[in-house]
Amino acid sequence: DMNEEQPHVEDRCVPWSDGMQLLKDAAEGKHFLPTGLEGIDTLLGGGLRKGQLTEITGQSSSGKTQVCLYSAAHVAARHMGAVLYLDTSNSFSPSRIAHILDELPISLIKEPKDMRLKRVMSSIICESVFDIFALFEVLDRLEVSLNCKVTNGSNKICLLIIDSVSSLLAPIIGGKNSQGRSMMISVAMILKKLAHKHNLSVLVTNHMVAGNGAPKPALGESWKAAPHIRLMISRDRGSNICTATTLKHTLLACGRHMKFQFLPS
Amino acid sequence: MLSEEQSQKHITTGSGDLNGILGGGIHCKEVTEIGGVPGIGKTQLGIQLAINVQIPVDYGGLGGKAIYIDTEGSFMVERVYQIAEGCISDIMEYFPCHHDKSSSGQENLQPESFLAGIYYFRICSYTEQIAVINYLEKFLGEHKDVRIVIIDSVTFHFRQDFDDLALRTRVLCGLSLKLMKLSKSYNLAVVLLNQVTTKFTEGSFQLTLALGDSWSHSCTNRLILYWKGNERCAYLDKSPSLPVASTPYAVTSKGVRDAGSSSCKRVRVM
Repeated sequence: DMNEEQPHVEDRCVPWSDGMQLLKDAAEGKHFLPTGLEGIDTLLGGGLRKGQLTEITGQSSSGKTQVCLYSAAHVAARHMGAVLYLDTSNSFSPSRIAHILDELPISLIKEPKDMRLKRVMSSIICESVFDIFALFEVLDRLEVSLNCKVTNGSNKICLLIIDSVSSLLAPIIGGKNSQGRSMMISVAMILKKLAHKHNLSVLVTNHMVAGNGAPKPALGESWKAAPHIRLMISRDRGSNICTATTLKHTLLACGRHMKFQFLPS
Repeated sequence: MLSEEQSQKHITTGSGDLNGILGGGIHCKEVTEIGGVPGIGKTQLGIQLAINVQIPVDYGGLGGKAIYIDTEGSFMVERVYQIAEGCISDIMEYFPCHHDKSSSGQENLQPESFLAGIYYFRICSYTEQIAVINYLEKFLGEHKDVRIVIIDSVTFHFRQDFDDLALRTRVLCGLSLKLMKLSKSYNLAVVLLNQVTTKFTEGSFQLTLALGDSWSHSCTNRLILYWKGNERCAYLDKSPSLPVASTPYAVTSKGVRDAGSSSCKRVRVM
């Protein structure tokens, strides 16, 4: 009988929760992944928000890669899940991750150094991506793996980092041909869908280009609306102290500044 | 990945101090941009690296070959010979006991073999530059001993006569991704020499890299060479794992060395 074999449409509906549960989760910080940088986490209202796309933009050597490395290290160290780190400029540095772990507050240190390093490094999956098509392919593989994996707390990917998404998009946008722009919008859509469906935090970096007068974030107007949260960072000349400013945020007012610091190697 | 990074050999610059701020030297699998005003010695450093990559493994080097892509005609072969001689004389000084070992090893230490180990491409337009970078993959597949690719200088042909600026940005970004990929796949160092221009921002003259805004993000590391009075200095401006730092260095008749070395220095030409 055909009716019995058809799965009920209602069974396919996503599970629901109620407002109090959401509030409780938020209070317990379950919605956020820490970057490990106090100023940034404060500015973000807790950290990188799960289910959302966060963009860090800034000029060259302002610290975008460092924010990515810190986030990967802290999320992995605190057993929050696995990290997929997509690197477009051969900048992922295991020795830097090791240094960042050395700076962890004492309360979080429960195991011997080399064991922790090994555990963290095995929770960070780093892949080099050098063109937009390779990116689409990686994201596709990620979707498949998230869909069918039997999820086990610390092995499930909870943070996706792309450093930098703009270097993959720069070669294809800006011409008369609109295909590049539509690929960029496609990337944004896929990232947000992955974030929402699998409750990931997605962190991307964007470089800056010359504007009329002041430098501005690359990727233009169409990209502006894509991330949920946009932070701009800049580094004081010759120091490790940086300033972060919110350009766009879902909850908090924009234009707030916070200073933060990378500890030296 | 960590053990791989730690065992990675670096290409010495000739100056211990410069190697120090670079974490041992120029890294393979990474793209390093070196910027500086005309006359500071970018080509000197480029040539020094093309020689130093060939230092045999027995003497602490990589024993590799070099590709030198010359866009401005800066490659002076007599100077290359001189730097090769300088490199060999330093090796003899640090490894005196090796003389007794294999005589074949000693035969290899001739300036001629260092010159033969540099694959030289002279580029006269941006289309030739795009072509050679596209060709590199095939070349590297056939010459697996190449461990460094030097482009001197990378933005020269893109500064003038390029009407469509958006196209220029796209092309340069595409080139830099290709070079990133090559450096990773073939485990070699890519060194991009770039001109520095002065830009009037925030009320003072600042040195910025040519075409900086279009593509300053496309390197793993960046070193800026500058004058401090009459002394040459290098400043590490960008690195994923090293702190910013600067150090003086010198260009002598033997090549790039530490500041304060005994060999006669090449002075600043006003």
